[in-house]
Amino acid sequence: MSGFLAWLRERIPVQGAQLHELTNEPVPNHLKRWWFALGGTPAYLFVVQIITGILLAFYYQPAAATAFESVRYITEEASFGWYLRSLHKWAATLMIAAVILHQMRVYFTAAYRRPRELNWVIGMCLLMCTLLTGFTGYSLVFEQLSYWGATVAANISDAVPVIGSFAKQMLLAGDNYNERTLSRFYILHAAVLPTTIILLVVVHIIFIRLHGVTELKLEDEPEDKPKHFNFFPDHILTELMIGLVLMVLLSALATIFPATMGPKADPLTTPEVIKPEWFFYVSFRWLKLFSLTFAVLSTGFIVGAMFLWPWIDKVLRRITGIEDISVYIGIVATFALVGLTVWEAAVAH
Amino acid sequence: MTVTAKQYIIGFLGLMFLASLVFVQMMEVERKKAESGKGVAHAVIPASSRSCVECHQKSSPGIIDHWQGSTHANKGVGCVECHKAAKEDIDAFDHYGSIIATIVTPKDCGRCHKTETEEFLASHHAKAGNILASLDNFLAETVEGSRVPFNPHSPTPGKEVDVVNGMASVNVGCRQCHGSKIALEGTNGSLITVDELKPDADGVPTNLEMVSLVKKDDNGRPVLHDGSWPNTGIGRLNLDGSRGSCSACHSRHDFSPRRARQPENCGKCHLGPDHPQKEIYEESKHGVAFRDLKEHMNLDAKHWVLGEDYTQAPTCASCHMSGHTRNGGKVTHDPGERLSWTNRPPVSLVMDTDINGAVIKEADPVERQKQIVSSWQDKRQEMKNVCLHCHTQNYVNAFYKQYDDFVVNYNEKFAKPGVAIMGELRKQELLTKQDFDEEIEWTWFYLWHHEGRRARHGASMMAPDYAHWHGMYEVAERFYQQLIPQAREIAEHAGESGKADQAQAVLDLIDDILARPEHEWFEQAKKLADAGPASVTTEAVAATTEDKAAPAETATPAAGGNEEAKSSDAPKADAAPKEPESEPAETDGK
Amino acid sequence: MGDATQGSDLPNADGETSSTPSRRAFLQHSSSATMAAGLIAGYGTLAGIAIKFLYPARVGQTIQQYVCRLDELQVGDSLPFIMPSGAKVVVARQSEGDTADDFIALSSVCPHLGCKVHWEAANERFFCPCHNGAFNAQGAPTEGPPAAANQYLTRYPLAVDGNLLMIEVPVEGISVSNEEASA
Repeated sequence: MSGFLAWLRERIPVQGAQLHELTNEPVPNHLKRWWFALGGTPAYLFVVQIITGILLAFYYQPAAATAFESVRYITEEASFGWYLRSLHKWAATLMIAAVILHQMRVYFTAAYRRPRELNWVIGMCLLMCTLLTGFTGYSLVFEQLSYWGATVAANISDAVPVIGSFAKQMLLAGDNYNERTLSRFYILHAAVLPTTIILLVVVHIIFIRLHGVTELKLEDEPEDKPKHFNFFPDHILTELMIGLVLMVLLSALATIFPATMGPKADPLTTPEVIKPEWFFYVSFRWLKLFSLTFAVLSTGFIVGAMFLWPWIDKVLRRITGIEDISVYIGIVATFALVGLTVWEAAVAH
Repeated sequence: MTVTAKQYIIGFLGLMFLASLVFVQMMEVERKKAESGKGVAHAVIPASSRSCVECHQKSSPGIIDHWQGSTHANKGVGCVECHKAAKEDIDAFDHYGSIIATIVTPKDCGRCHKTETEEFLASHHAKAGNILASLDNFLAETVEGSRVPFNPHSPTPGKEVDVVNGMASVNVGCRQCHGSKIALEGTNGSLITVDELKPDADGVPTNLEMVSLVKKDDNGRPVLHDGSWPNTGIGRLNLDGSRGSCSACHSRHDFSPRRARQPENCGKCHLGPDHPQKEIYEESKHGVAFRDLKEHMNLDAKHWVLGEDYTQAPTCASCHMSGHTRNGGKVTHDPGERLSWTNRPPVSLVMDTDINGAVIKEADPVERQKQIVSSWQDKRQEMKNVCLHCHTQNYVNAFYKQYDDFVVNYNEKFAKPGVAIMGELRKQELLTKQDFDEEIEWTWFYLWHHEGRRARHGASMMAPDYAHWHGMYEVAERFYQQLIPQAREIAEHAGESGKADQAQAVLDLIDDILARPEHEWFEQAKKLADAGPASVTTEAVAATTEDKAAPAETATPAAGGNEEAKSSDAPKADAAPKEPESEPAETDGK
Repeated sequence: MGDATQGSDLPNADGETSSTPSRRAFLQHSSSATMAAGLIAGYGTLAGIAIKFLYPARVGQTIQQYVCRLDELQVGDSLPFIMPSGAKVVVARQSEGDTADDFIALSSVCPHLGCKVHWEAANERFFCPCHNGAFNAQGAPTEGPPAAANQYLTRYPLAVDGNLLMIEVPVEGISVSNEEASA
């Protein structure tokens, strides 16, 4: 046994202490509260997505003629196919929710401020990638709503001045949804976006390691308590717990609300009620409120502002002199987002 | 929280996760079980039909989709297995290398489904095409349309109409239920049907002169006359000499047993003013239970045996055709096998049938007994065996008592007198030979063909409203307020124009009928008013006192079979017999 | 489950004070074991489900397909049945009687190297032109390499359903184009 370990150490010249040093980032105490672990949650769900996604890809066929049938095969015939597909769907929903919550936590605790501005931008990129992955994944089912969702989305991007039609043609591989569109969505969903997410997550974590986790002092904590605890094993165990709770939750959701099949995509009939996935409700409602060009441009403006918020925040603080100006704006923005989402969810048209 | 505690919690959560996966496993097992019950059809296309499917998938995907969901597809029975034809068949043609025919007849289905076809051919269903020269058909052909094409009388803006096809109502109405006589167009403009072709036992035409006359289109296909095809009427007269159409009930191209088991399937024909069986069923407790419990009725079951696969409610098929535990699950394709009355003719007859399956009309008991192959009692027992899955013997017997009494009351009070009056009018030549050219002929037709049938069918299948308001109430109104006055008016008119004797015969008959105890109430008051007011009250009281004793007396003859057989002798011959027992008028209390 | 075992080796950050070393060791061991068991049970089962998912659902499934009516095939006659996959099977009647045993269905693929065999009526044998293999009417090898290796023509199970002859064929297989199938 020890001979084998020695053999292994020689081939992999990493010392236990080094490993310890590498992983054992001291973690600030506030991370004992679960809402600070929201950054780990999407990461965990992302792993679930990769595993279930790879499994689903064994059967999925990204072509207009066979896509729907292959999803039907997964859902109705393959053993546990319905369960894995439901896991994939619910993990996607939870992942997007977790990303948004994580970002809100970062925002309201002003963790994006100097020197962590760049990590905020990377986080924004991750949010965009996650939303795009959700959108492309939904389109792969090739049912009525996902087909028309993709069509509508492509035509929205068409409204963007200058680059709009280029973006649409790039997205659809043509002027309209065609035979080659699905494979484009598929490769975006299963290769390009996940790889980008992985790279961004690595950079995201490297930044965290370089800067350290933002330290927060909570009011009800005694002064003499140690300020940090060990990442390993303490925080890892917390993450494991969260992971298992998520698995149980996902299983429950998958069994109680399994992913179903709508009617197959029919390019000739638009369904009476057409809705995107819930995370696009905000922009969908926004589009209904204003003219297409204004809605698209304003959405672009808002997203741009979100990317640049660490600097905007700085300017705003300086101009107004209010330290918590971003918190107030954030509260208003949150209410607006929740309000628009609920509005869109509540009405048929 | 300590690390140790966390580890315990993780262990516990892991087990929770395991528990949720065990639940997932249970759901998977359930799902697989449900799926295996459904016999999910695999899209295996038999090689013989692959080229058909490839082409028709594009040209007519509906029939391919239907077929792919069928048991046929599941068992490798493809297009050519049913559509294939022999070269000698009159309607055969070459379709991309296969010799096929458009119309699939019971002869084709019977190649595999032998028993079913034989039972069907023995049924009244298969004879539905025989109406093609009947009273009903005269209505559609002549009264509603025209036997010969005629010229339009003014232009139809936007459409060129050269000639009016007077047979339109027959083609679209009568024949879509009863079945058409399939016809090919001849090169000389004639129509070539089974009558001209005289096919042999294999369905191959023997009249070769006619064969040579058949018109072919550009692709070499024999041209089917558009008046006769499309048609899935149940008694279709096919070119190969076979009768009927299996797809009347087993709609092509999925031939779904599930659908054939549901009342809507029968409702393509069995509804409307003259025989609203489907509406009657829907009103009955049977239909109500079916609508409620449809999902639990196991309609996809392979054999669908009552008492084994389901018991929730009966559909049309359950009672009239399907197998049940008391007959070993045997399905019949002759829905007449369980009927004890035929309520189709003006006067209902019991279903003693002869060797040809025809209802025996012979009145002489000895002669009648000789002809009977299957008695109405046999048939009633067959039906009772179905009823007994849910009802007790006493309950079923008492139901049949109510039903029999109802039919006999209709027969005796209105149907036979109506037959007698119409017969007398014809006998005395007070009516023309032509049907439907006089008001009373319509009146009488409404009475028995529409209202009388509604009443009897309503009673047979437990729909009170059809038995009474849509039924007997309208029969009575038609009889008292239209038939009798119209008959008298004809007679009086004839009397005035020098046919005094003939007129008197009719008037005497009507008076005789109305003097019967069950009709006595109708003109009693008027007569008394004419005679003087003195005796009104005593007569009415006498009738009421007899009322209570009467039902017990009348019950016995109605229950016995021979009594009914006697009373239901040939409808036309009824010369208004005098009733041996006096029955009080039932309605006098109102 | 390397996490679990490593976790128990490492010093406890929260530092329990009151328990004796042996009790502490026991607690640590048992908690690690519990954690490991929970993780293995949960994720292990999930892995099992994943494998079940990847295992083909229809493997070994067969389906009965209609061949002909019993009266269509006389003793000594045979007819070709084309499988859904396009492969040709010869169905023949061997004797009077209406049971499945009175019929035989043989693949026309030579078990030697997969060439197509054909029936030689004169010699009453199936002959494979590739290496001069021959089989009798029952599919038993009589000459050539198949005889040497004792390889039989594949026999497909038959069944009788009423007056219909049914053949049991595999459900799946990539179907070839029609020209090839009918050739």
